Amino acid sequence: MSKQRRKLKRTLPGDKATLKRADDVASMIRVDHAGEYGAKRIYEGQMAALGDHPKAKKLIEHMAKQEQAHLDYFEKEIVRRGVRPTALHPLWHLAGYALGALTARLGPEAAMACTVAVEEVISDHYAEQLAALDKQPEEKDLRAAIKKFKAEEEEHRETGRNSHADKAPGYRLLTAVIRTGSKLAIEIAKRV
Amino acid sequence: MARRAEKEGDLQARILMAALPDVAFDGWSDALLHSAAERLKVPSEDAEEAFPHGAIDLVRYFSEWADAATLEKLTARRLANLKIREKIALGVRTRLELLAPHKQAVSAALAFLALPPRNIHLPKMVWATADKLWRAAGDTATDYNHYTKRLLLSGVLTSTTLYWLNDKSTNNENTWTFLDRRIDNVLKIGQRISSFKKKREERS
Repeated sequence: MSKQRRKLKRTLPGDKATLKRADDVASMIRVDHAGEYGAKRIYEGQMAALGDHPKAKKLIEHMAKQEQAHLDYFEKEIVRRGVRPTALHPLWHLAGYALGALTARLGPEAAMACTVAVEEVISDHYAEQLAALDKQPEEKDLRAAIKKFKAEEEEHRETGRNSHADKAPGYRLLTAVIRTGSKLAIEIAKRV
Repeated sequence: MARRAEKEGDLQARILMAALPDVAFDGWSDALLHSAAERLKVPSEDAEEAFPHGAIDLVRYFSEWADAATLEKLTARRLANLKIREKIALGVRTRLELLAPHKQAVSAALAFLALPPRNIHLPKMVWATADKLWRAAGDTATDYNHYTKRLLLSGVLTSTTLYWLNDKSTNNENTWTFLDRRIDNVLKIGQRISSFKKKREERS
């Protein structure tokens, strides 16, 4: 009954377009905030678990700094627009850190392989959002921000590839698992 | 479209105001909604468009109306100099003060919302109120604190409103001290968590 009611409510005259758009952008901001938080935690986990590899650490530090800037942006948007943040924040807190720490334990190449896999999924995800935002000219600021973030995520992916990510033990399996996990996380964070 | 929405909100407010004095006699019902519309000479199609699901929509609008009026009063006052707990207490108090002329209507609304299938609405309404009060207080939490804060405030709102319904003291003075004590309880939860965390850190 309640489901039917909600449907009815959405088809109210004059309501539909605005309601749906608001929903979409809210969900975008929620998932992006969750994702950037997860990314930040991955890099934190890597920094903690990576041994004496100053070169890799320097790269990670740079990437982590950019992720922090992305996260700050989405945090501000959540507050400004009154978007409900992800309810699974504690899960992303733990899962991100664990993923970073585990891959870094396998060595700097595996840490970079993790970056390659995650950033690949994220830049695809941002590309999807950019396409959706094309239809919404009033969201051009959000679109510009996501476009910039996407470029930086792609840069991270290239950093990973140039740092011998493919020399990681079980590179293909490792990246396939991480890619699937990241996609799943995105689908969950859109909703919860 | 914005103009249309404004007009609709206006109509909803007019119907609510016309209905409120009769709630004590009729309870929240579709009949109440229709007689209010009739008195205002609003065609019944328009009333149905304003409240497509009848009485339940009217009750929900009653809560939203109280929320909006509360926020309006809060923004008129300068909140910046207050402590968080004072902002929250002021929010709860302002809402109840606004509802004071309609105590019986609030009481009837709780009875109306107590039974299934309508009972799913009440927690949502309380949550929405807690959400708005926290935002008015300048809450910027984007992690699980977003949820715990609203949950704790929902508890305060519920218990304080129930106490207020039976409060016979002048100007509901007893309710305001009750509210202060509930906020003390909630703050103690936070203090206990942080002292527990501190102890754990000291040990490790």
